[in-house]
Amino acid sequence: MSSFAIEEKHSVPGDLTTPETRTEDGGRRLGFMLTLPAQLLVLFIAVFPLLMQLYISLTDWSPLEGTGWWQAYELWNGFANYTDLAVDSRFWDALGRTALVMLICVPVEFLLGLGLAILFMDNFVGKRVFYSIMLIPMMVVPAVAGYMFFMLFQSGGPVNDIISTLIGRPFVLAWLSSPGTALVAVMIADIWQWTPLMFLILLAGLVGVPEDQMRAATLLGASWWQRFYTIALPKMKTIMIIALSIRIIENFKIFDTLFIMTGGGPGVATETISVYIYKVTQQDLIWGYVAAIALVILVVLSIVVSLAISRMNAAKEA
Amino acid sequence: MKRFGAFTALKTMDLEIRDGEFMALLGPSGCGKSTTMNMIAGMESPSEGRITFDGADMNGVAMGKRGVGFVFQNYAIFTHMSVYDNLAYGLKVRGTPAGELDRRVKAMADFLQLTPMLEKPSAKLSVNILQRLAIGRSAIVEPAIFLLDEPLSNVDAAFRAVMRTELKHLQRQFKQTMVYVTHDQLEAMTMADRIAVMDHGVLQQVGTPLEVYNDPVNLFVADFIGSPGMNLAKGMLADSDRGMVVDLGVLGISAPLEPAIAAAARKQAARDVVYGFRPERVALAASGAGLAMPVTFIERIGARTVVHFGDGEKRVKAVFDNDVAISTGETAHIAIEPGAARLFDAATGNAIRGA
Repeated sequence: MSSFAIEEKHSVPGDLTTPETRTEDGGRRLGFMLTLPAQLLVLFIAVFPLLMQLYISLTDWSPLEGTGWWQAYELWNGFANYTDLAVDSRFWDALGRTALVMLICVPVEFLLGLGLAILFMDNFVGKRVFYSIMLIPMMVVPAVAGYMFFMLFQSGGPVNDIISTLIGRPFVLAWLSSPGTALVAVMIADIWQWTPLMFLILLAGLVGVPEDQMRAATLLGASWWQRFYTIALPKMKTIMIIALSIRIIENFKIFDTLFIMTGGGPGVATETISVYIYKVTQQDLIWGYVAAIALVILVVLSIVVSLAISRMNAAKEA
Repeated sequence: MKRFGAFTALKTMDLEIRDGEFMALLGPSGCGKSTTMNMIAGMESPSEGRITFDGADMNGVAMGKRGVGFVFQNYAIFTHMSVYDNLAYGLKVRGTPAGELDRRVKAMADFLQLTPMLEKPSAKLSVNILQRLAIGRSAIVEPAIFLLDEPLSNVDAAFRAVMRTELKHLQRQFKQTMVYVTHDQLEAMTMADRIAVMDHGVLQQVGTPLEVYNDPVNLFVADFIGSPGMNLAKGMLADSDRGMVVDLGVLGISAPLEPAIAAAARKQAARDVVYGFRPERVALAASGAGLAMPVTFIERIGARTVVHFGDGEKRVKAVFDNDVAISTGETAHIAIEPGAARLFDAATGNAIRGA
């Protein structure tokens, strides 16, 4: 093949140089003044409580002291709360349990949501109706969902009835009072409630995949799986990271549904980090310690999320 | 034939595209040209009728298996991949061995002068490089036929001429059968070996650009092709001592028709006709001769000047050189060059032509 020669340097229409941005100091100062009220508000809402939490976490303060929180320095104990935390096995167990729930629930919700989203890309009879039904779990108040699943998983409840019918002999299992199965029941409830959110976000991502690029891939001979893997998936990377981040953060804080179903029990079998914090706050009332726990969790989650965001930026630039 | 519910997008279409040919499907929007294209590609299947490639029936053959290269309106470049990965895509999904894949991608890049930007992300390339990349990406799997869906419609007018030349060049180099869908007659005229003019889902005429321009088969083609389109005046056939003429009412009596056209008209026993002539074939005549017409409007478009004469029923467009000495409001005498007249049956719209 001989090379054909047409001059390379066509000027491209629309490729204008970026106009000079205005960076005069006067404009900047005015901008700062105009946004100052909003910035102060953000400072008050986000930064102040954080500093307050850090302050209390360095003391042994409790509301039982009868002194205001700002007087907590009277009970200053330095990093004792943090060193206590390092050897608090109940804390580490709760953290491990929370991580386990997250590592199971989030991937399952993701895969189910993705599968459903792919199904909803096709047209089928009753799509709109199913779509509405799909989103109902997400809209149920978590406390109500907790009661629903509490009833469902009773030893004489519908779940056992259905299993009995399926296997043809009586099946009795006290789901919520056996240490092994209580966590499973809690995870099923979480998956039921939050798969729709994954579905919704991932469907938006799938719809956003350029159809002509998918068609181009088809015409080049790509199979369904190849198209999905090489075109749709890379295009959805950003939105997938968003969906996963939202669910990781939310799932890490799992509390309301779980608390109504099991109260963290039996024993501590379903005691996640939130439940542990709740108990320490409400029963033991050692708030300095609670502040330390919460701060550690915040740091851990921040690291996870900032990793996710940097992945996202990398994906965007590619 | 293609129906969408009660709507029939494509009624009659019998078109044979030859090997190595550049065929333009030309028509106004909604004429069924894109439907035709999508059916060739296999994105849609015909409600009736067949599509064959080299005699093999394509109905029911999946679009990935037809050997069709498709260049989309916006090129549909995989923006998340490098230029290299775009070119390699078709070979990769077919499981081509790595060595051969690399060799063919590099050869294609070399041919299309894409080598310097092989590793660049494809998202920020200029339009002409996108066009070459889109063509290269399809060409690398050696398709039997190439389909292009108005690829120049997003491009600046000034840049289109460059892109047209480049595209025609590529087609010659690849010796590739190409079908090009467009509503822009300039694109069709300049690039195509043959043009298929379509309207309302019906194929109107197939022919070389000159055939379609010189001898339109009906009133639609006469009006659609050419810029401005053909002058069309209603009239009645009449006999005179100089031979058969057309009585054009307010425009007077035409010059005698060519004997071949007159014979054809006599054979068809036509009476109500449409008399057509290209604006380019109108000349200024000496005063006293020809037809006296007031000049109503002058469009100067650079190399040429379009002059509108008269108004209402009595209206004629003419194209002159840009330095024509004429101004709005004056009365000019015009004449139609010999051999320029075309005759159409007013009832059917079809051309009345000598054998």
